[in-house]
Amino acid sequence: MERQENKEGIKGWLNPGRYGIERFAYWLMRLTGIGLLVYFIAHIYETSTILNGKAAWEKMLELTQTTEGHIILAIVIGMCVFHTANGIRLMIGHGGIGVGKPGRPDYPYTPRSINMKNKLCIYASIGLAALAMMYGLGVMFGE
Amino acid sequence: MRESIIMKVHYGTALGAVSLVAVHILFRLTQGFSESLQYESVIANYEFLPYALVLELILILISIHGFNGLRVILLELKQGRGYEKAVTYGCIAAMVAVIAYGSRTIILASMGMS
Repeated sequence: MERQENKEGIKGWLNPGRYGIERFAYWLMRLTGIGLLVYFIAHIYETSTILNGKAAWEKMLELTQTTEGHIILAIVIGMCVFHTANGIRLMIGHGGIGVGKPGRPDYPYTPRSINMKNKLCIYASIGLAALAMMYGLGVMFGE
Repeated sequence: MRESIIMKVHYGTALGAVSLVAVHILFRLTQGFSESLQYESVIANYEFLPYALVLELILILISIHGFNGLRVILLELKQGRGYEKAVTYGCIAAMVAVIAYGSRTIILASMGMS
């Protein structure tokens, strides 16, 4: 019964507001992952239209090379950069680097693995993603 | 397969995909962005064998990484013997389908069958 009450399912997963920036990074990592997978499948379909000849390809370009299409692509660029930068942080962390030495849990029980270095990396990943989005928008709309 | 090995594959495919996607994006930027998307330019890209191989590798690496990532997310949400099997086999099937569909485009376009 208690297990059922505590089980929030997808609602709990979708709530990024608890436990600070680390939880937000966890949520954003999964959200960007799903977003990128959806884009990847759409991109595979989009590029397959080239097999139907020039007219079909140009019709597809008319659909994707629009203001909305460029904005979606800029969001994809941002998702890609955040997912990459945060993924590298996680890989390094899983390798035991930058997570601190294990120690006796003392009050106020601050986890050693969630330190300033990791938090800074998360903020840097978000910053890099924003910069890449701006660069992408510059390239797409600058022409 | 052990989860620890699957995670190593997950990280390996991620690093491989990041470096190859960088090449893919740089190819778009060698010309202007819109010019690089013109029909003749895209066909020329496919017919250039080393680049077609890069595209095929990107397709395989991202499919493995993406569908394994989806499997991990779905297993975090819910557990159970039947559910886990369904998610694993479903993700493998989707991965194979995407690789097959993408490879078809790369092979036919690089052979000039468009």
